[in-house]
Amino acid sequence: MKDLAVRLAALDADAGAALRVIAYFDSLVEARAGLQPIVRGAAVLADCAARLTDDERRVRIRVTAAGVSAWQDEAPRQEWMSATAGSATLRLERVGPPGPVEAMILERAASAARAVLDRARGRAATADPASAELIVDASAPADVRLQAGRRLGLADSAYAIALPAEIRVLSGPVPDLPGRAGIGPAAAILDLPASWAAARVALRFAAEGTDEDPGPQVVHAAELGSLALLAEVGDQSAAPDVKALEHASAAAPWMLTTLHTTAASISLRAAATALRLHHSTLQDRITHAEQLLGWNVREPRGRLRLQLALALRRLHRHP
Amino acid sequence: MTLSVELTPPPFDPELGAALPAILEMMPAVLSADLIPAIREGISSNALGSPTDDDLSRDGKFTVEQRQVPGLDGDPDISLLILTPTTATGALGCVYHTHGGGMIIGDNRLGVPDMLDWAEEFGLVVVSVEYRLAPETPHPGPINDCYAGLAWTAEHAAELGYEPGRLIVAGASAGGGLTAALALMARDQGGPALAGQMLICPMLDDRNDTISSRQMAGLGVWDAAANNTGWTALLGAARGGPDVSPYASPARETDLSGLPPTFIDVGSAETFRDEDVAYATRIWQAGGRAELHVWPGGFHGFDGMVPQAALSQEAKAARVRWLHRVLDI
Repeated sequence: MKDLAVRLAALDADAGAALRVIAYFDSLVEARAGLQPIVRGAAVLADCAARLTDDERRVRIRVTAAGVSAWQDEAPRQEWMSATAGSATLRLERVGPPGPVEAMILERAASAARAVLDRARGRAATADPASAELIVDASAPADVRLQAGRRLGLADSAYAIALPAEIRVLSGPVPDLPGRAGIGPAAAILDLPASWAAARVALRFAAEGTDEDPGPQVVHAAELGSLALLAEVGDQSAAPDVKALEHASAAAPWMLTTLHTTAASISLRAAATALRLHHSTLQDRITHAEQLLGWNVREPRGRLRLQLALALRRLHRHP
Repeated sequence: MTLSVELTPPPFDPELGAALPAILEMMPAVLSADLIPAIREGISSNALGSPTDDDLSRDGKFTVEQRQVPGLDGDPDISLLILTPTTATGALGCVYHTHGGGMIIGDNRLGVPDMLDWAEEFGLVVVSVEYRLAPETPHPGPINDCYAGLAWTAEHAAELGYEPGRLIVAGASAGGGLTAALALMARDQGGPALAGQMLICPMLDDRNDTISSRQMAGLGVWDAAANNTGWTALLGAARGGPDVSPYASPARETDLSGLPPTFIDVGSAETFRDEDVAYATRIWQAGGRAELHVWPGGFHGFDGMVPQAALSQEAKAARVRWLHRVLDI
C-alpha cells in the first residue's frame, strides 16, 4: 500500500499539493501535536530528512524520510533549504532553492513548530516559578510534576538550584548566578524534590564572599560529602569553636578571610598568593589568629577543626 | 437496547489524523454492494494498487512464483503467490497470508510487502492465497479456498523448503478474520499444526454492533456501514442472524481453547476495536496464549497507510517482537 509521500509526489507542484501540506500541518496544530510529529511531517512530505534545532531552548530533532527519529551530530550544510521559527531553525536536508511545495512545507512546519515552542518551551526556567515550585514538591502528583517538567523544557535529567529567595530547575550546564546559590545533584524529573532538598542544604554552605562571610558563593551539593551532615546538627552557634571564630573575627577585619583562605588553600604559600600578602605577613597573621582561637590551624588536625568551624559558622549565618 | 446518549469517539492520533484526509481521498466509501465493482476498478488504478513482480522480488532477494493448486472438495483451482528467499541461510519458516479488503476487494498481493519485511528478517517463505471474493462467491467459498491453500502449503513444506514446525498464518482486516477462521478449522478438522496466528486489525464479527462500531460510524477507515456491506456480501440475509458459522465470523465460536499462540492488534479509533479486544480476552479466558495491542488513536489499517507515523513504527515493531518469540526456537 502506497503512502502519503507517494501521493504528494504524484501531485507534485500543483495547487492540490500545497493545500494538502497546509491541511496536514493545520491538523497537527489543532490536535496539539508535539515537535516530533511536525518535523516528521516535514520529512515525510518532502521525502528527505528534516531537522529542527533551537540552541537556546536545547531542542534538536532530526527525522529521516522514513519517519525514523535519528539525530546526527554533523553540522547542517549552508546550502540546505531552511526556514526560521523564532529562535529555532527548520531544515530540509536537500540542497538548492526550495520549489513551491518544499517552500510550503518549510513555512507551515516552521510555523507549527514555533507555536509548539512558544507554548511548551517558550519561557526560560527562571520565568516560571510556579512550575519550578511544583516540580520540587514531592507531594504533588507525578503526572503534574512531569507536566511541569515539560513546561520548563527540561530534559530527562535535570537539577534544582536554590537561591536565597528563588527555586530554579533546569537541564544542561549551570548558568551564571547572581549571588549565593546551592546546586542540587542531577536527577530524573520525578526525583527533583531530592535534588531540591540537597540544593537547599548546599545553599546554607554558600557564602556572601565578603570579609564578614568569606567563602564560595556557589556550592554544589554533590561536592559537600559528609559535610552536609553538619546541616542537621541543631544550633551551630553553640559550638565552642564557632564562638572562638567570632571572638577572633572581632580582633581584625582581615581575620575571617585570612582563615578561610588558609583553610581552603593547598599550602600557606598558595594562601599568601591568593591573599596578595607576603609569606611572612601571613605567618604573623596566622600566629595571631592561633592565639585568639586557641589551636594550631597549620597542622592537619587543626586545619580540619578550622574548616569545620568555618562551615558551622556559615550554617549559623544562613539558617 | 438503544443508547440515548451520543457516543463520543476516541480522537485520532495527531499524526494519523493529519494524514487521514489524503487516505480517504484514495479510499472510496463502501456504502452499498452495487458500488463494489466501481471500487475494485478505482483501487486497481490508484496508489492502493498491487505491487508488481518486480516490487515483490526486492532486487532478487525473493523468487516470485504463482502456483495453481486444487480447491476444496472439487472447488475450482486456486492460485497461490509463493515468494521464496534466495539468500536466507538456515532453516526457513513459512507465513501463510490471507489478504484484506473487506471480503469484497483486493488480491493476494495486497499486504504482501509487510510479509516480505518479516520474511527478510526471519527467513520465511511467503504464501499468499487468491481466494474468491464475495458477493460473487459467498461463504463458505472464500474460507474454503483459504483452507485448501493452507492444507496444500502444509503438505508441501519439504518442496517449499521450510520446516513444518515454523508455519504461521497471518492476515490483516478481512484477512485477519480469515486467518482466525483458518486456525479454528485447522484445530477442528485435524489440519496443519500452526506455530502462531497473527491477526492484524481483524474483521471477526458479522454482528457489527459493538460500541466501537457505533462510535466510529462515519469516521476513519472502514466504518460500520462499510463493514455491513462486506459482511452482507459474504453472508447475505444470514448476516447478524442466529445461523452464522464461526468459520465465516470467528467471534461466533464459543470455544476459543486449543488455538495456537495469537497476536492481535487494533486501533482504539476503529470499528473492530471491541470485537478484537473481546477475542483476545476470550482466548485468555479459555486458557490460551494471546498478545493484544490497542494502539491509541489508530484508525483501521493505519500502519499500512501511514507507515512513517510514530504509532505505525511501534505497531510494526511489536509484531516483529512477537514473531521473535514465536519463531526463534
